[in-house]
Amino acid sequence: MNRLRAFLSALVADWRLQALLVLALLLGAPLLSPGTVQIASFVLIAAIFAQSINLLTGLAGQISLGHAGFFGIGAYCTGALVKTHGLDVTLGVPLAVLLAGVAGWLLSFPAKRVRDVYLAMMTLGFGMVFFEVVREWNSVTGGTMGLPGVPSAALRTLSILGVKVDGLAYFQLLLLITAGTMLMVRNLTQSRIGRAFYAIHISEIAAGSIGIPAGATKQLAYALSGALAGLAGALYAHLVGYLGPESFALPRSIEVLVIAIVGGLGSIAGQVLSATLFTFLPERLQVFAEWQFIAYGLILTFSLIILPKGIGGLLFEPPRFIRPRARARAAMLRADAAMLRPADQGAALEAERITMRFGGLVAVDDVSLRLEPGRITALVGPNGSGKSTLVNVITGIYRPSAGRVRFAGRDITGLADHQVAAAGVVRTFQDPRLVPHFTVRENLLLGAHRQLRHSGVAAVLALPGATAEEAQQLALVEAVLALADLTAMADRPIDTLPYGTRRMAEVGRALLARPQVILLDEPAAGLSEPEMERLTQLIRDMKAMGLAILLIDHHMDFLADLVDDVVVLDSGRMIYRGDIAGMRGDAQVIAAYLGDEAAHA
Amino acid sequence: MMDDFFFSLLLAGISVGAVYALIALGLNLTFWTTKTMNFGQGSLMMLCAMLTVFLSSQGLAMALAVFGSLLVVAAFGVFIERWTVRPALQASGGSMGWVVSTLGFGIFLQGVAAKYFGSQAVAFPDVVFTAQDFVTVFGQYVSLQYLVVLAVAVALILALELFVRKTVWGQAVHAVSLDPELALVQGIPVRRLVLGSFMLSSALAGVAGVLIAQIGGTVDPAFGFDLVLLGFVAAVLGGMGSSMGALAGGLLVGIISKLVGGYVSTAAEHGIAFALLMMALALRPQGLFGKAEVSKA
Amino acid sequence: MLELQGLTVRYGAVQALEDVSLQAGAGGITAILGANGAGKSSLMRAVSGIAPVTAGRILLDGQDITALPAAERARLGIAHAMEGRRLFRQLTVEDNLKLAWSFGARKLPLATALAQTYERFPILQEKARIAAGLLSGGQQQMVILSCTTIRSPRCLLLDEPSLGLAPIIVQQIYAFITDYAARSGIIVVIAEQMAALALRVSSHGLVLRRGRAVLQGSSAELLHGHDGKTLAATYL
Repeated sequence: MNRLRAFLSALVADWRLQALLVLALLLGAPLLSPGTVQIASFVLIAAIFAQSINLLTGLAGQISLGHAGFFGIGAYCTGALVKTHGLDVTLGVPLAVLLAGVAGWLLSFPAKRVRDVYLAMMTLGFGMVFFEVVREWNSVTGGTMGLPGVPSAALRTLSILGVKVDGLAYFQLLLLITAGTMLMVRNLTQSRIGRAFYAIHISEIAAGSIGIPAGATKQLAYALSGALAGLAGALYAHLVGYLGPESFALPRSIEVLVIAIVGGLGSIAGQVLSATLFTFLPERLQVFAEWQFIAYGLILTFSLIILPKGIGGLLFEPPRFIRPRARARAAMLRADAAMLRPADQGAALEAERITMRFGGLVAVDDVSLRLEPGRITALVGPNGSGKSTLVNVITGIYRPSAGRVRFAGRDITGLADHQVAAAGVVRTFQDPRLVPHFTVRENLLLGAHRQLRHSGVAAVLALPGATAEEAQQLALVEAVLALADLTAMADRPIDTLPYGTRRMAEVGRALLARPQVILLDEPAAGLSEPEMERLTQLIRDMKAMGLAILLIDHHMDFLADLVDDVVVLDSGRMIYRGDIAGMRGDAQVIAAYLGDEAAHA
Repeated sequence: MMDDFFFSLLLAGISVGAVYALIALGLNLTFWTTKTMNFGQGSLMMLCAMLTVFLSSQGLAMALAVFGSLLVVAAFGVFIERWTVRPALQASGGSMGWVVSTLGFGIFLQGVAAKYFGSQAVAFPDVVFTAQDFVTVFGQYVSLQYLVVLAVAVALILALELFVRKTVWGQAVHAVSLDPELALVQGIPVRRLVLGSFMLSSALAGVAGVLIAQIGGTVDPAFGFDLVLLGFVAAVLGGMGSSMGALAGGLLVGIISKLVGGYVSTAAEHGIAFALLMMALALRPQGLFGKAEVSKA
Repeated sequence: MLELQGLTVRYGAVQALEDVSLQAGAGGITAILGANGAGKSSLMRAVSGIAPVTAGRILLDGQDITALPAAERARLGIAHAMEGRRLFRQLTVEDNLKLAWSFGARKLPLATALAQTYERFPILQEKARIAAGLLSGGQQQMVILSCTTIRSPRCLLLDEPSLGLAPIIVQQIYAFITDYAARSGIIVVIAEQMAALALRVSSHGLVLRRGRAVLQGSSAELLHGHDGKTLAATYL
């Protein structure tokens, strides 16, 4: 099965075959009956519509239960602009797409503040309200009577820029548009935007630690998804020529969900197959049309449970998130880990008199800490002594009750976690927060997210500048892989790899964020001896690069040869600062760990 | 002297508002125990109302028809928990599969109802009183049906509030909503509570369906679908997880939407509810009585 | 007696416990020691049923409970005070106690149980109607201890009861624990990072390091004997 999948995936991804298919359809269309051509046009529109769900749900993990609304905005917008106001189609359609995108952006405004299920409910409401608005707003939409007379290919009333376009020509145009859209969606998936979408889908906190803001990213996903759905709607309007509210009600939203889910969330090819299936079925099978609602209901109820990856998951390999062309370019570049060295040396991080209170509990009590570039400091203490809390304060997860955090001359106290990461202070977590389905390479590349400065448009159109930048970062990824001894498993999904490997990967990912200060939270936990040696070497390399390093850990043998100095916390207070040898003999430290008696045993 | 029109709208708003609160409570219940909501709740409302019509048309006494329908709907609640929510929560593909599953099941029920009962609206018989019965309060005509609906809804809400506050099982539900692991370790039968919450939530939906159908006079397969949204708005306005909040939120939604519906346009009722939702999320996501349970999972 | 035979607990790819065997008898306290991440909590979670057991068996007084779900084990008499001072913070002290009392067998009447608790910890009576989350750390620990003992369990599991508490409060807590253990004669297992503390009150102990049992023996031996030096070494 796996070989079949690999074969099919390669087949579908081959651009020559894609071009061949498009060409064949373009040239072969005149040979088909007009009826077939029209159904095929519907398939293409459904495929684009399904992509909008694919993007939102498959990639970004958000759910929309009212996507017919965006579809409808696209349709009515171009319909009204072109029919009523005489705009040309070439203007009407893009404006419709823009409006639908803006609607998506506006609808998802609570994304920063509420659970995703609230957003899902809002989309349900949106679909409902849109339907009612359409029925009422007679002047624009024609109300319940609908909007007839939209220039349509099927009715031969459509002309684009003065050129008459009939059903056949429209199909050919649709073909090109659909192909182009698919290409752009694939480019998006393999760009930093796609990776960011998927990251917030799987782990918002991990995404935040790299500098990816969850709320804004979700809004972008809803906006793009809305725009795509609007495009499908606009193209639909100029196919059918008549827009009635019934076409933009709940059944439409349900149908696109079914197509997208059965096709397989995340699989572009699967979506096309599914769109074909569900467009032809109601046409050819009258009985299906009768039982449609019931069938769709059952499919939605059980498909995510029985066949979560849909047809796409069955036939094809899971989509990858790095552009092959960027990889090819990167292979030609030579990257040296030394390039990860921070640009400006000499930035120290100072935590001054940090106090953290949770209700009546004082977790951190007047602790001051200084991290110098090129030095490794250990932060140790019994469980509950406040180590993790202190790190959370420094990295912006908590705002301290008192005290300040300064870095490179800036006061970074109270900045959000992704802002602190953006400033150059990066951390890892006690349990590796990696994205499960991503490969090691993809996970590492995610660390370089903020280094990729090219615009979204450049990413989607796969412009040379964007590819070059990605290649550069990929080369650095390669260097880090070598440093962390992960090259051999670079292209395996991270959740199939052992714990020690994942730890190394997480440290590597943090490195790619080009930090000046790095805080490692229990990096050695759960590692075997050889794994610990590799980690030690990696940390030494980072020190040599000039990073300021803070290590929280309990494994004293791991820390002994590695650290320059150690800070010991107990019950939120600092009870020792100095070197490790001294710490071992310090009575207060021993008492803190083992209790008074062991100190004098 | 209050304007008759205004007063009748107000009363209608209060009555339906109380029912929206019931729906909100149903959503709250499963949210407490599993952090999920049945997006197909509306179809359960519709099903209960339709079954009541069907059973009573077969000659069954009204009370029995309602009761029997409630039992069926509660049974569906069990099915939904076991076969659409639990497997979705356990599937690794993402945390929101249950939204699609529960919605899908609601669609399925709607389709079945349309197939079996037809898609036309059917008249909903009088459970208590008739649409013409009224009393005079302060010189205004007050429909008895509206009053009964209001009374039933408020009674159920108070009963639930008392249940959660005063009884051990109610406390246990609250505990599960706070820390399911800790509840387990103290011997609380979490699984049974989850099942019970789904049954009760579905039954509440059924009652809401019957009450709304009574006021509205008819029921059709698509009935109820939009009600889940209104219930949600009520829950958000009042604060997710608060029964009193649900009542406050429900009344607010009910009154405002009925007033807007009467003075502007009936079609604007949902629109205004949606607008209220957007306002609440923009200004005060935790609602009137809620504790900030609005951060992402 | 609580018996663990070759207990192995794995969370995904992480090996939390490997092949750990232990016998904890009734009438005495058993200490589970080890640095953070050594597996102490995983051991307790496996016993109370909230961590899945990959291999091995757990027997309570000869009965194999490995397959029993957690709520079932709680009703059988396993009481677990989890790490991190877990309480229902939004519920009042009294509601916490009532809830802990309500589900399971072998209990005194509620009024008696509450009276006993308040007698033992008068401060709790004062704070009975206050939300548990507002109490001090030590007071919260008193609530937790009362909750776990309110139904006269057969086996009491305490995960780092001294965590984050001032020494004088720790003394109070431990006074209660030793007193309760002696009076009730049940199985008591305490996990602590503060080795000396636990060893002082226990009859024997088990030291975990990265999921494996590395030292086992009587508490006196572990604390004072030649092994005393090794004990410090396993931490530092």
